[in-house]
Parts: sequence; C-alpha cells; structure tokens
Amino acid sequence: MFTNFFPNLGRVLEKYWGLFIQGAGYTLLLSFITVLFGTILGSILALMRRSRNKPVSGFATGYVEVIRGTPLLLQLYLFYFMLPELLPMLNLSKFACVAIALVINSSAYVCEIVRAGIQAVDYGQTEAARTLGLNGRQTMLRIVMPQAVKNILPALGNEFVTVIKETSLASTFFVGDLMTQYSTVRGSMYLVIEPLIVVGAIYFILTFSLSKAINAFERRLKVSD
Amino acid sequence: MIEIKNLSKSFGSLEVLRDITEKVEDGEVISIIGPSGSGKSTFLRCLNLLEVPTSGSVFFDGVDLTQKGVDIDRHRQKMGMVFQHFNVFPHLTVMENITLAPVMLKKRPKADAEAYAHKLLARVGLSDKAQEHPRRLSGGQKQRLAIVRALAMDPEVMLFDEPTSALDPEMVGEVLAVIQDLVRNGMTTLIVTHEMGFAREVSSRVLFMDEGRIAEQGPPEDIFNNPQNPRTKEFLGKVLR
Ligand SMILES: Nc1ncnc2c1ncn2[C@@H]1O[C@H](COP(=O)(O)OP(=O)(O)O)[C@@H](O)[C@H]1O
Ligand SMILES: [Mg+2]
Repeated sequence: MFTNFFPNLGRVLEKYWGLFIQGAGYTLLLSFITVLFGTILGSILALMRRSRNKPVSGFATGYVEVIRGTPLLLQLYLFYFMLPELLPMLNLSKFACVAIALVINSSAYVCEIVRAGIQAVDYGQTEAARTLGLNGRQTMLRIVMPQAVKNILPALGNEFVTVIKETSLASTFFVGDLMTQYSTVRGSMYLVIEPLIVVGAIYFILTFSLSKAINAFERRLKVSD
Repeated sequence: MIEIKNLSKSFGSLEVLRDITEKVEDGEVISIIGPSGSGKSTFLRCLNLLEVPTSGSVFFDGVDLTQKGVDIDRHRQKMGMVFQHFNVFPHLTVMENITLAPVMLKKRPKADAEAYAHKLLARVGLSDKAQEHPRRLSGGQKQRLAIVRALAMDPEVMLFDEPTSALDPEMVGEVLAVIQDLVRNGMTTLIVTHEMGFAREVSSRVLFMDEGRIAEQGPPEDIFNNPQNPRTKEFLGKVLR
C-alpha cells in the first residue's frame, strides 16, 4: 500500500493544491473572525464577571461555565440548526452560523484569559492608583489594563492556535475550511491517507509558525517590562 | 485635620481595630508602633478608606468619609499614601508616574505638572531619573519616587505604611532623609514604622498599638524612656536592643 505513497502524494498536491490553499484561507479567515469577535465579547464578559451587580456577574459566570463545560461540536450543531430557525429573517449562511458558534465558544475562553490577565496585576497597583484619587474606571483603564495586556496578548495568541485546530470541527458542515477540502479530495481521488498528510502538514505549518511568532513577541514584551 | 471616632474594623470574625477614637492636628507628626498584626496598617488604611470601617467615623477636614455619597476620590487626592512595596507604576516612566494624577484629576497643564515634578525630583535627589522606567531604579529610588508621586498632588497629610521595611539596609537612610525633610517643612504625617530611632527623633507623638487598640501614646521621650503600659515595655524591650 505504501509503495504508492509518494507518487500519490505528488498527484494529490499537483491536482488539488488550489483547493488546499483555498481551504487554508477559509480556516484562517474563520479563525481570525473567531478570535477577533471572541476577544471583544470575551472582554465584555470579563468586565461583567467583575461587576458588583450580582445578576450581571452571575450571568457571565453561568455563560462561561456552560460553554466551557459542553463540547464544541455540540455547540456547533446547536447553533447550526437553531440560529436559522430562531432568526429566519437574517438568512444566515452556513458559514455565518458556524462562525457565530465558534465566536461564542471562544469568548468563554477569552473571558478567562482576560480575567486571569487582570488578576495577575499586583493589587498594590490598584491601591496606589485609588490612593492618588483615581476612580475605579480610571484605575482600570490607565493602570491595570495596560499592564494586563502584557499577560493577555500572548495567551490570546495561543487561543488563536487552538482555534485554528478547532475550526476543523466546522468541516462537519462543509464550510470550505481545510478539513472540508480534505473530504472533497478524499471523495474524488479515493485516497484517504495522502490528502490527510497534506492537510495535517498545512495545519502544522500554520500553528507552528504562529506559535514561534508569539514566543518572539512575548520575549519582546518581557524585555520592555 | 483628621478625627477618628469609635473606629472598629473586623475581617469576618477577626476584630482588628476595636473602638479607636483619636485626633490628628495640623502639622502633627505621628509615629505608629506596635507588634506585627496589631492593626497598624489597617488603622492607616481606614483613614483614606482603603479599608472600609465596620463601624465608627473618620472625619477629614470636617467631612465624615464613611458616609454614603461622599466623593472619596476627591478626598483621597488630599491624602498622600506610601506603601511598603512602593507600588510605582512599572508601565510608566518616572515622569509619567508623577504627572499622571495631577494632569488627569487636577487638570494641571502637562508642562506645569512636569515643571513641578522636576522640582520635586530635585528635592529627593532623582533629577537625572525623570525619563527612566522604574525597573531601572533601586528600591530606595523607587520609594523616593512613590513619595514624590504622592507629593505631586499637594496633599494635606501623608500616610506612610512601613516605607523602609522592604528596603535593603543601605537604602533605608536615603528614604528616611526624604521623610524627615518633609516633616521639617511642616507636612502633617502619620507613619507606621519599625525604625525606633527615627520615630523618637522626628515624631511629635507616638502611638503604641496592641491588639487593635491604641494601648499607649505620648511624646516620644515619654514612650521610649518611660513607658507605662507593660505591653509597651515588653515591645520596646524586644525591639530596642
Ligand atoms: N484584608 C484582610 N483580610 C483578612 N484579614 C486581614 C486583612 N488585612 C489584615 N488582616 C488581619 O488583620 C490583622 C491586623 O493586620 P495589620 O493591620 O496588617 O497589622 P500590622 O500592620 O500591625 O502588622 C492581622 O491579623 C491580619 O492578618
Ligand atoms: Mg502592617
């Protein structure tokens, strides 16, 4: 079986390289959308969790716990089938439904990243700022957040890496990502292993280079500390 | 200037301050001494409501700070505080550390705030550090910066909570010298300290705290030379060796 491995690999690449590139593009797009909106929503959730208003913080806590305590695949199914029924007037595409589910999932993890980043800032910083007369909001914006960002950014980068891998679950709904392309190629060439190797290599190149970039960035943050 | 009435503070079931009534007059320099855990920090932190008293009142310039609706941020601008661990802002330069609050809260023009900051930095011997980041400063320099940061708001009173306890011994002197200079210029000061020599030399009054109460107080000569309370004697016996 493996005698034809390399020739087959060559044929797969030659015939379908365009599809793989396109799939990688969709995967990156989906991941980028997820992390971007996940970060916005997650930051809002983190602030809600810190709120003194019990219903507000309670809602955010419940949201985070439920999302983190259930499988992403289940959430994808749920939103995929539920959103079009719930909001038929929006005419949401498959891609949009999947993206929304991913954003909601990621926001729960980002919420915890932001919260941990804020908590890691020495409480003495808050006390010093409040003692000078800054109010809570000024202290958060001018003193705590600028320091928390240094903890948050690298963790967000790692979340990006995780999301790139998780978007493969979205291929269940054929949204054009890398894994979707794998299914297409497998179906048309009757080859299982070779396209999988190609797709795996592309995932690895994406995540590995991103991780390296994050590490370099993190080192620079440390130096400027 | 500050009037404390029946101040009590508990953390859960732990009573840390018990019914303290005390008055601080303009220009007084008060050292607070006492064993670890006796409530010295909590007492100081109740004065600017960093800790919210469980009961009792703190009047500052005639306003009861513990009342609901009091703009505590505005009053805190007039009460400088310096911490054991400096708490300088590491993401800002020395200059930004000092000018942040005056520019943001007192609407001082930036140039004025910077000119004033330069003056204060010169006074504590940090003129050449204005553009440095705090990470490049020694502990003693950080603490002098923290003092300048507080002074830049033109406070009416300065609260020091063990300002030299986290310093290497060779840096204690430079920070005490700055505080001494402030005191000489008439700044109303409360300082929690373990530097008994300093307390004896600079304070107009010494408070000895024990188990959440001011167990004894008086001029430094009386407290150090002729303590009445057996707990004061015991404490001084341990620290003055
Ligand atoms: N935020 C807090 N929560 C619970 N207990 C506290 C807190 N702050 C201080 N305490 C307790 O209150 C007591 C007095 O503390 P503190 O005022 O720091 O004493 P001192 O400064 O004289 O050493 C100690 O037993 C300490 O553990
Ligand atoms: Mg203390």
